[in-house]
Amino acid sequence: MSALLLDVVQQTINGLMYGAFYALLGIGFTLFFGVMKKFNLAYGPTVMAGIYLGLLPLYVWKAPIWVVVLTCVAGAVLVGLLVEVACFRYVAPGNELAPLMTTIGMLILIQELVVLLTHAAPFEYPPVFGDESLELGPFLVRPDYLAILLAGLLFVGLLYLLVEHTAFGRAMRAVAENPRVAQLLGVDVSRVNTLTFVLTSAVGGASGFLVAMTFGALQPGIAGWMTIKGLVVIVIGGLGSIPGAVLAGLLLGVVEFQALWFLGITWRDIFAYLLLFAFLVLRPAGLLGRAAT
Amino acid sequence: MKRLAVGAVVVASALALLPGAGAAFQEEGTLRIGGMWALSGPAAYIGSSSRGLAQLAVDEINEAGGVSIQGKRVKLQLYAYDDACKAEEGLTVVRRLADSDRVLFSLGPTCSSVAEPVFGILQKRLDDPADTGLQFLFFTDTAIKFGLARISPWAFRNVGNEPEMFDLTFKLVRERHPELRTAAVAYESDFAHSVSTWKGAVEPALKKYGYQVLEVVEWRFEDTEFGAQTTKLRKANADLLVMLTHTFSTCGAVKEFKRQRVRSKLMIGITSAASTETMVGCGQAVEGMIIPTNFAAVTPRARALAEKAWARYKADSNLHSVPAYENIYAIKSIVEKVGIRNEPGTLLQDRRKVRDALARLGTFQGVLGPIKMNGDDDPVKPRDVDKAVILVQARNAQWTVWWQPPEMGKK
Repeated sequence: MSALLLDVVQQTINGLMYGAFYALLGIGFTLFFGVMKKFNLAYGPTVMAGIYLGLLPLYVWKAPIWVVVLTCVAGAVLVGLLVEVACFRYVAPGNELAPLMTTIGMLILIQELVVLLTHAAPFEYPPVFGDESLELGPFLVRPDYLAILLAGLLFVGLLYLLVEHTAFGRAMRAVAENPRVAQLLGVDVSRVNTLTFVLTSAVGGASGFLVAMTFGALQPGIAGWMTIKGLVVIVIGGLGSIPGAVLAGLLLGVVEFQALWFLGITWRDIFAYLLLFAFLVLRPAGLLGRAAT
Repeated sequence: MKRLAVGAVVVASALALLPGAGAAFQEEGTLRIGGMWALSGPAAYIGSSSRGLAQLAVDEINEAGGVSIQGKRVKLQLYAYDDACKAEEGLTVVRRLADSDRVLFSLGPTCSSVAEPVFGILQKRLDDPADTGLQFLFFTDTAIKFGLARISPWAFRNVGNEPEMFDLTFKLVRERHPELRTAAVAYESDFAHSVSTWKGAVEPALKKYGYQVLEVVEWRFEDTEFGAQTTKLRKANADLLVMLTHTFSTCGAVKEFKRQRVRSKLMIGITSAASTETMVGCGQAVEGMIIPTNFAAVTPRARALAEKAWARYKADSNLHSVPAYENIYAIKSIVEKVGIRNEPGTLLQDRRKVRDALARLGTFQGVLGPIKMNGDDDPVKPRDVDKAVILVQARNAQWTVWWQPPEMGKK
């Protein structure tokens, strides 16, 4: 295999692996949008809050990893519920601007709280899946990225089962379709919204733990980074489409890694946003459009 | 009636926020000094350490009775703000310090990318009535990009000279390890300090000492993925790996090096990385890394300071934060010698007196030894300092001395 082809394949592998995390972020954003028809810009910091709360059992109590995972999930759910109460629950229907602005405020608040409490010190998660790459022939594969990819597939499968084959899933789809009609049909819309927050936050908390292991050092700026990537993914994938978010995340990962390898760091970001603009102009509905959740 | 009451409260609150027109600094028994640092964001660890060391100096001076002005002892009052390592925040904060808080001088900023625009609004030509730039004194402790003090005669710095530091570093490495011939470099393309260190300090030094640069890779200050760049470094297989990156990205990158089995014979780091933060975040992954610095706890006084700063303020003592401590003591000494009036009406004259005295200061005592302040007329680095360089190396999760000037001993 030529050196060029080897590079292309290796960067595609890297991009798919890394893109799995983008996909997980996108799933959280799009699930939320699909049900509530609003953007939750505090989702990134919710995931980050779960990650930082997971440091407590890790550093203070020296707890086993499964406790850390549960703490990340529970922490993200708790913060997610706080966001729901503060930014969404009491906002009048039809007021689109208020939740947008309040979640931006919440993003800043959570990020700065983390800085205040941690002095922005560089904490790290242990490499649960080992700290050496796996060699598959001429290619290197990071085991933690592989775990994210497999977790992503698992989460998508579980979400599909939940949405398509449970009463709650039917209720979510009904609210996503038309909240007023759903309410008339006996669905507790408020409860569905709250449980959507719980679900997306739990997914975020679990994803956050997985991705935190891949970081060399945690820093509070990841909240903004996750928010931007998540938004890019759901626009490319199609607002409200879980499969779209998955495909978009993987696509974004591959595009970024190829651009980075062949052209450099500046082009990585340029190509990522060119991809976004291309979809906004040429295919505004995204890869798979708006799908019922 | 209710409206009148509310209006009165609003007006009273607004008046309370205004600088006290009738408050006189000397009368209130304070000498106002300022500081602007990155207290949030990725550079917060550096900024908060500087703030901690500054507060320590203020507390020590106040506990010893304060500063002697016009025969009266007044207490230092530190007005500290967060610029978040953002230029727009810095420009807002400097106005507040200069015009609202009316401090004599300011420490900081932390980031060179903030210092550059902030110094840019200062007066460029002394005594020129046509120059309406801000007449506000900075005595900077951290922003290290070479040449910043040239921007304005109101900008002074007690920071390291990175071209000299890295020249010394590669000279010593060449002497001790003549078998090492090639280098690969990583730097943060969106961080002014990293870029200037590469372009202004390391690249010339590598060329001067005959190293062949096999690969140069870039990433962003806040990046968390380094796979592609690491693969390029692995393919280069250079003898020296020069990491001109700050702690957050350095820690991520060196862990990726381990994953991809990148093995260099020697790693050199950027000055800012010689801190406790790097040890906490990177651990064994930076074992053996050598970094030039201006501070290490190599003397009893330095050790005592580091322990006290950590115990009181959880402030890390390093080449960026210790100058904040030194600068306050230097200004105290100047203030007591030049005889400022410390009144709101004489603030501009007082700032100018201190500025001129700082330019004529010559040598003053730092924590590790003498520091020489270059005057306005220095052709190369006006209003910057010359001070001793130490090279530290990461060994067993601690910074140990790899090289220090022969004359530096226990003091």
